[in-house]
Amino acid sequence: MLERSQKDVWRFSPWLTAFLLLGNFLLMAYDAKTQSQERVLRVGIQAAANFIQSPVTAVTSGISGYFESLTSLRSAQTENEQLRERVQQLDFQVQSQIGLTEENARLRGLLALKDQSPLKLVPAQVVGRDPSAWFDTVILNRGSLDGVKLNNPVVSNGALVGRVTAVSPLTSQVTLITKNKSGLGGVIGELGGSSAIGVVAGSGRRDMLQMGYVPGSVAVTVGEFVFTTGQDGIFPAGLKIGTVAEVETGSTGEPHVISVEPSAKLFSIQEVAVVLYEAPRQPDFEKSVPNATGEGKADRK
Amino acid sequence: MENIRITAALIVAVLLQWTARGVWEPLVHIDFVLIAVVYAALQRNAIKAIIFGSVCGIAVDALSGGLLGANGFTKTLIAYAVSEVARRVYLDNLMLRIPVLASACVISNAMLYGLNAVLGDAPSAPFGRTMVFSSVSTLIVGIFALLTIEKVPLDGISNRRTGGELFSRRRSSRRRNPIRF
Repeated sequence: MLERSQKDVWRFSPWLTAFLLLGNFLLMAYDAKTQSQERVLRVGIQAAANFIQSPVTAVTSGISGYFESLTSLRSAQTENEQLRERVQQLDFQVQSQIGLTEENARLRGLLALKDQSPLKLVPAQVVGRDPSAWFDTVILNRGSLDGVKLNNPVVSNGALVGRVTAVSPLTSQVTLITKNKSGLGGVIGELGGSSAIGVVAGSGRRDMLQMGYVPGSVAVTVGEFVFTTGQDGIFPAGLKIGTVAEVETGSTGEPHVISVEPSAKLFSIQEVAVVLYEAPRQPDFEKSVPNATGEGKADRK
Repeated sequence: MENIRITAALIVAVLLQWTARGVWEPLVHIDFVLIAVVYAALQRNAIKAIIFGSVCGIAVDALSGGLLGANGFTKTLIAYAVSEVARRVYLDNLMLRIPVLASACVISNAMLYGLNAVLGDAPSAPFGRTMVFSSVSTLIVGIFALLTIEKVPLDGISNRRTGGELFSRRRSSRRRNPIRF
């Protein structure tokens, strides 16, 4: 083995530091520039870390689940009675829904409308959380082998959690909607029935989102639900984002500043579902312009 | 044997950093890798500390939402700075190691935030709160780690320090002039 004297070490270490700092700087520049799919190093380490994170998560969730089940035994009887009552109510609702579905199918057939395919979901488990206190991402135990793709939305109990920002064959990394720069289209109330449409983004707080660009002339009340519009080209329409928690009322020329509380429990989620959704392709305006490809010129000749 | 101790400490630190948040959310504020890198640099093992700092930093970055390389950059610089301080000042005393570790925590967090804000996306966590929580918790855990790691026997031979002694004996030869530039 190569033995170095302390003097050699002292002489060599500044050069080594400079070399490694430069390497890390280039890595940062490359990472900032490239698409998430091309981040080979990140994806490779994530896949390797999965073999450590998954067993640890399984053990810890098993232990915490055992204690939770012990504490929840007390309230189980009353909950059981409530649930039986609820099942009866839901049975009645399902019966009426069946009738409505049949009627809907019949009417759609009459109007010759094509059936919209329902969104396909891939259930996944959170196996890791961001190791840095500065960021909030989660690692899921489903990757490209399960059909997960970049930018796929992730939901928990019907509420939006975030979107996939890096995919390895076995795992995927999800950036939560609380990230400062993760803007998405949102509407307060029903899509199509409300004109309170704006952009929901991170607010700098981990438990709150901020909704901007909602016209000040539109009435917004605290407690209303906020849903995705589907206009951002990433998330499908109708996913619940959260509820309006606070409104700084704007004026006719000034938009409201709205604080939205996320519906998903972002920092305690264990099970989620990846929505295998691909946004409908936007028309390619560039190619549709006759002069853009030179075809127009050829036609004129 | 010291090499085995440093290598083991760094591997354990990375594994803890990867998994701690999943076990209990507040554990995310402890920078295990920083503690291990500072420990390695304090052993006057500059080259190992610098290389391991860089590699471990990248390993943490890969699972984080931040820029890949930001942690590597920070830890490399910290490792070099601490090893240079350890070369010039005798830091065998725990009381002298505490301010070094505290400074490393603050500089590391500030650099990490700054690099991400300038080159990538500004972190969503509030700066002041995260900075204080991270620095304090890393410092507390770091002090305990530095105390215990020295007591781990690796070669079956009893440690140089005996009888639960916390601080090393004063070196009489360097007593008058402990700072060497």
